[in-house]
Amino acid sequence: MYQFSASIYPVLGCGRQLMEYLEIVFTLPALVTIVIGAFAGVIIGGMPGLTATMAVGLLVPFTYTMDPTLGLMLLGGIYCGAMYGGSIPAILLNTPGTPAAVATALEGYPMSRKGEGGVALKTSVVASFCGGTFSTIILLLFAPILARQALNFGPAETFLLAIMGLAGIVSIADEKTSLLKALLTGVLGMMIAIIGTDDMSGSLRYTAGLIELIDGVDFMPALIGLFSMIQMLELAGQKKHVAIDTSALKGPQKRSKLPKGISKYIALGSGTGTVIGVLPGEGATIAAFISYNFSKQISKVKHLFGKGNPEGVAAAEAGNNGCVGGSLVPTITLGIPGNSVAAALMGAFIIHGMIPGPELFTVYADRTYPFILSLFVANITFLIIGLSVAPYLARIALIPPSIMVPVVCALAVLGSYALNQSVFDVYLMIAFAFFGLILKKLGYSLEALILGLILGPIAEGGFSQGMIIGKGSPWIFFESDIAKTMWLIIAILLLPPLYNYYKNHFGARSK
Amino acid sequence: MIKSSVDRYFLILSVIISVLVYASTDEFPGIAQKTSAVYVRFLAVCFGTLSVIQLLLNLLKQDEFERMDLADHLPRFFGLLAALILFAIFFESLGFFIAAGIFIPVIAYLLGERNTILIALTTIGILSGVYLIFVSVLSVNLPGPRLW
Repeated sequence: MYQFSASIYPVLGCGRQLMEYLEIVFTLPALVTIVIGAFAGVIIGGMPGLTATMAVGLLVPFTYTMDPTLGLMLLGGIYCGAMYGGSIPAILLNTPGTPAAVATALEGYPMSRKGEGGVALKTSVVASFCGGTFSTIILLLFAPILARQALNFGPAETFLLAIMGLAGIVSIADEKTSLLKALLTGVLGMMIAIIGTDDMSGSLRYTAGLIELIDGVDFMPALIGLFSMIQMLELAGQKKHVAIDTSALKGPQKRSKLPKGISKYIALGSGTGTVIGVLPGEGATIAAFISYNFSKQISKVKHLFGKGNPEGVAAAEAGNNGCVGGSLVPTITLGIPGNSVAAALMGAFIIHGMIPGPELFTVYADRTYPFILSLFVANITFLIIGLSVAPYLARIALIPPSIMVPVVCALAVLGSYALNQSVFDVYLMIAFAFFGLILKKLGYSLEALILGLILGPIAEGGFSQGMIIGKGSPWIFFESDIAKTMWLIIAILLLPPLYNYYKNHFGARSK
Repeated sequence: MIKSSVDRYFLILSVIISVLVYASTDEFPGIAQKTSAVYVRFLAVCFGTLSVIQLLLNLLKQDEFERMDLADHLPRFFGLLAALILFAIFFESLGFFIAAGIFIPVIAYLLGERNTILIALTTIGILSGVYLIFVSVLSVNLPGPRLW
């Protein structure tokens, strides 16, 4: 017990260990990997149609043969870089590179049209850096504490944890995807996850005689299909691609200091983004919009919003980058991904045999802490890139889809195949893309589907073991204080959105 | 096809699947009857109930006639899908480099790119990059040509 207590706080309690982890980060291969990751992330984030989830999901299988720490650092760098990269074309071309940069475009592009693109870019990169750094500090401080709490979890609590993650799905529901449909696809994901070998009896379930399904449906091909290939199919199926206005790129852009009083909005966005990132299912797009709306509410110059207000850029960018560290807190401590990018990253941890939970901070501390520390370096990397070459990177958004689509498709096929060296996984990826697109068009949530697929095995393991311990009685899931608290949290997560859903649907109908 | 009709077919299929999955749990052997089977039944009930509620909401809604369009340009969409399946079929026999060397230019052309130099440079650049990074540095095993 003493050993565990001493080792779970290596960073907080032991400066020597911190130095050891920093030494791992500051080796040449690690630094090169992080810089490449962050740079690639900025480029990918800058390409409309390509997202951080797509990039991380696509590259996870390739890190399998890499040193695990370097592989994770590469993906972490991409995550940080892509979150920032989306803002560059959003500001200069009114074309958000990622959905999370849509809020940035609302203020950034009008600023560019006024010749203040340089100020907007600077505000964006500094806010992104602050948001990312703040959330990484929170990750570093709170993840080990939360992971230690996970030691008290038995099978019943593990099952409830997965249900809590599923309850978080309701918050994914937005204007496009209804709450019921989000829940439905979440459960569908859990149903797909039951395919394969039953851990309790060793018998095969729903494999249709296919030996490739003995180990179940791997979530990596599903992830690549749902988040990379669908985007490519959509791009390929567009009749006309929207012409990008490049006028702001040609005009002179004023380079000056950061606007006064902007730090308040950066702090607001950083805090909001981190908190939202921690909530399962909440993504960077929501974080950016909520931060943007908060900044609008507290601003003294509300009338300037929509006309090029740097306060909006600062809050939105700090918000979406704040999501990075926040989303990794539940991911690496409890195995519940904060968002779809974190889900892809969790896949990377799993394929390297690092199961999220307390072990990451004890047995694998020499991999986990360097990974977390590498996020600081990734933030510094994109800060330097942003301050030096951002205006030139905006031209990435001008790469035609006719070139981007075949390249990404070829890499998606390669990525799906590489993990298990199985062509069946490639077929799975294509099937997930096609049927996922149909579900998306019908308004179902693909994020919920992938969360269900990931949470399914966790839920089943906890449920089955809980039933054995409880000798067949489901009361085991209500007995402990932790379980009762978790039920309360699940109710808090579910009831308000369900009430709102009821009010909006049936209230409107009765009127 | 009308979007709401496709949604109804999907939900009906979901209800049928949940009933079949529920019924199939009777065949779970031994210890699984008290563990996995209960979990699968729980999921089937949740899935079925949610599907029925959604189906009822869909039926109660006033008829909407929004078309279900998978893509604006169907030949390109299905062309890419067919090319992906062919890519997967020939992936192991032709190997990644030959298969991708055909796939990338064909899809670029299909999507309207007519600049042959750009297509050629992109294809060569990507294949070289994959070889250098994944084969040389990361030692990823990619299938080679197995034509004979």
